[in-house]
Amino acid sequence: MGTYIIRRLLWVVILLFLVSLLTFIIFYLFPSADPAALRAGRQPNPALVEQIRQSLGLDKPWYVQYGKYMKNLILHFDLGTSYQNNISVKTQIFQRLPATISLTVGAVVVWVVAGVSVGILSAIKRRTWLDRTAMTGALIGISAPVYWLGLVSLYLFASDIGKFKIFSGANSYVPFSQDPAKWFSSLILPWLVLAASFAAFYARLLRANLLETMSEDYIRTARAKGLGERRVIMRHGVRSAITPLVTALGLDIGILLGGAILTESVFNIPGVGRLAYDAITRSDLPMIQGTVLFGAFFIVMANLVVDIAYAFLDPRVRYS
Amino acid sequence: MQRHALRALAPVVAVGLAVGAAACGGGSSNKSGTSGNGNVTQGKKGGTLQVQAAGDFEHVDPGQAYYQFDYMMEFVTQRPLYNWKPNTNTVPDPDLAAGPPQVSNGGKTVTVKIKKGVKFSPPVNREVTSKDVQYAIERAATPNVANGYVGVYFGDVVGWKDFPKKTKHVAGITTPDNQTIVFKLARPVAGTLAQALSLPASAPVPPEYAKKYDAKNPSTYAQHMVFTGPYEMTTYQPGKKAVLKRNPNWDPKTDWRPAYLDQIIFSMGNDATVASRQILGGQNQVSGDFGAPAPIVKQASTSKKDQITFTPSSGNRYVALNTTIKPLDNINVRKAIIAATDRTALRLTRGGPSVGDIATHYIPPGMPGFEEAGGMAGSGLDFLKNPNGDLALAQSYMKKGGFPSGKYTGSQKLLMVGDNAEPGSKTAQVMQQQLQKLGFKLNFRQVPHDTMYSKFCNVPKSKVAICPNVGWLKDFEDAQTMMDPTFNGTAIVPVNNSNWPQLNDPKVNAAMKKAELVTDANARAKAWGEIDKMVTALAPAVPWLWDKQANIRSAAVNGVINQFNASWDLAYTSLKNP
Repeated sequence: MGTYIIRRLLWVVILLFLVSLLTFIIFYLFPSADPAALRAGRQPNPALVEQIRQSLGLDKPWYVQYGKYMKNLILHFDLGTSYQNNISVKTQIFQRLPATISLTVGAVVVWVVAGVSVGILSAIKRRTWLDRTAMTGALIGISAPVYWLGLVSLYLFASDIGKFKIFSGANSYVPFSQDPAKWFSSLILPWLVLAASFAAFYARLLRANLLETMSEDYIRTARAKGLGERRVIMRHGVRSAITPLVTALGLDIGILLGGAILTESVFNIPGVGRLAYDAITRSDLPMIQGTVLFGAFFIVMANLVVDIAYAFLDPRVRYS
Repeated sequence: MQRHALRALAPVVAVGLAVGAAACGGGSSNKSGTSGNGNVTQGKKGGTLQVQAAGDFEHVDPGQAYYQFDYMMEFVTQRPLYNWKPNTNTVPDPDLAAGPPQVSNGGKTVTVKIKKGVKFSPPVNREVTSKDVQYAIERAATPNVANGYVGVYFGDVVGWKDFPKKTKHVAGITTPDNQTIVFKLARPVAGTLAQALSLPASAPVPPEYAKKYDAKNPSTYAQHMVFTGPYEMTTYQPGKKAVLKRNPNWDPKTDWRPAYLDQIIFSMGNDATVASRQILGGQNQVSGDFGAPAPIVKQASTSKKDQITFTPSSGNRYVALNTTIKPLDNINVRKAIIAATDRTALRLTRGGPSVGDIATHYIPPGMPGFEEAGGMAGSGLDFLKNPNGDLALAQSYMKKGGFPSGKYTGSQKLLMVGDNAEPGSKTAQVMQQQLQKLGFKLNFRQVPHDTMYSKFCNVPKSKVAICPNVGWLKDFEDAQTMMDPTFNGTAIVPVNNSNWPQLNDPKVNAAMKKAELVTDANARAKAWGEIDKMVTALAPAVPWLWDKQANIRSAAVNGVINQFNASWDLAYTSLKNP
């Protein structure tokens, strides 16, 4: 197992290197805004644009710029400075990370609890009104775009602009360190909105897997041995059926830690996703590069954790 | 959210109105400053105002700030030599300056005396001197700070071009004593320079404190700024929020701003529609960098009339036709395109009549030169007469242009580059339909707004034939700031070119060169109005909008609009129940 983890970690490094290279190439070689021209403003003296280009190192070939970027990243963990506000990219990402983690962790709890419960109930109550209602709800949850759902939930339930003033609305996010109670209340609506489609997807996935698993021979054997139905379902059925969910969960958490752009935008939660979105709209290349790298890091690490978790969930999986 | 490298009109995030003139402001001079139902002379002290914004400041450093939202903050935290009271948008009032600028030497020397008793905020704490103003303007010319306008308005100062490469100071900026600063000019353009002294680059910066930050590339002074205005920025979290609190070293005796509010919080990153609803239904909030979206405008215009204010932003929008590319190098073809274009349909893509008037030329309403250029009706050119388009007239011009069928029959595809986000993308698509009516074949590319400018429309070698999403905003109330950067053939440059049609007409160029030196207000308005007529007659673009901005506020806010900046004046705005 130890060798496997080390080998995977080396792959993580290679993958992140490739991601950084690809992002760099995409934004430097393909049409995007010229950072020197953006910084220079209206009607600058062409000499000033050239001076800025030189001072930012943009006059150098792309591979020289990339080499410098990687050198700073590896030696100093320096992701560069934002073209927009001249503040360190690393500092800004770390400032935004707690909000994204708060949003992701809470939403994960909501969708795992909801998705797994509904999935199991639907499977064991197959073809009943409960199953049909749950699956119809799941279909709606999957189909509803997050941005639309966010706006609708605000117009319905936000304490400032909602018809039924129940939850804190947009722009109410407070860091956990400042006020845990307000932090919690400000995130209830975003958690529900973000979790809706995931919960629906997980419920459908688990239902399908569980139905398939429950028709396996070993389930019949377990029943024949006289095990209680509850134990058969939970210990033998769900444990096997839930494995694909773990894969999906790992990837989803990784993606969301890289930024839940839409949810953060609608609810104005100052997270990494919003930062990435702003960077893209302003052609802030160092910030784009930084947020993409962070997103990639979370995704590959989540994948690694999932693969390790497999060994514990499924006795047939062994890494050597 | 006017936040792009150019003071060109930028698209708005899902909103229907022109957002942001950078230093832009009102339409006509001496309008009521009580727009928004606020009262300029009365207000209660105290309270916290929340300014809701969709984006962030473009720059917070006064040496870099160049956009409307930047100015909203700069004008209450910094004191440039001159500044704009809510009601005035033709002549700025002395702010750090002790009186009006003294012009001598036939318009080649400008002398400004500054007030005593103005102090920097902590940790500098000392009194401001003229050397701080000198340093502020000089640093703005360095690549580490990279200001977008000083080269344009200070470029005629003696020795400007040698700084900072060849000289330590700009030779033409001197400070004979701590209260005096003198600008010596190579050409008699004192009038323009004097107006430019109202822009934030003339706000003092203490050299002994700022030099270490300015030595870095890019300058990090923005993270360590000191202030001279009534408020200081105590918190700035990019993209999240900024907090302004009272500057302990501000002496109201040296200032005309009432500064009613105790605290101002800029909340950034909001969805414009959600934020607009929060403002209209909430307490103590005003809009910041966005104009209210079209549905909100509709709602507010009927049920909350007193909470919405339409302010001309002194900007125009047009579709640039590249006069160097065939067949657009033929004036009759260009006239045909203008005649065929349904400009009402173009305006609808941004929200309809509330977003502004349909343009018939380029100088916007209220600016000196507007009436001289023909006013709202324009100068009577037939191809601009029908705002809904006139296909028969267009076809007659096509025939004159060498296309007997009245339609374009060539095989060449014209490159058109427009925005890929609304509302600009819709405008571009509507323009595509207008061009297809005349048989033009297009290679239509839609890209992000910044890319559209900096990689395509601003770069002549990109050979873009049609730029449907361009426009311009004033720097101050002078038609030169609207016409010169956009239609002067001598200003065409390989990068960051803002003469998008690449109009290079010797008569227009000569008229501009002459008009730049005219100092008498009436003669100047007439000269630039005539230039506008000349340009419009040459059909380099389809002018279609003179922008207005819809600013909104909560009912409990006594909002006062600054006509110059076309946004809320935070120094005069107050709360009804602080």
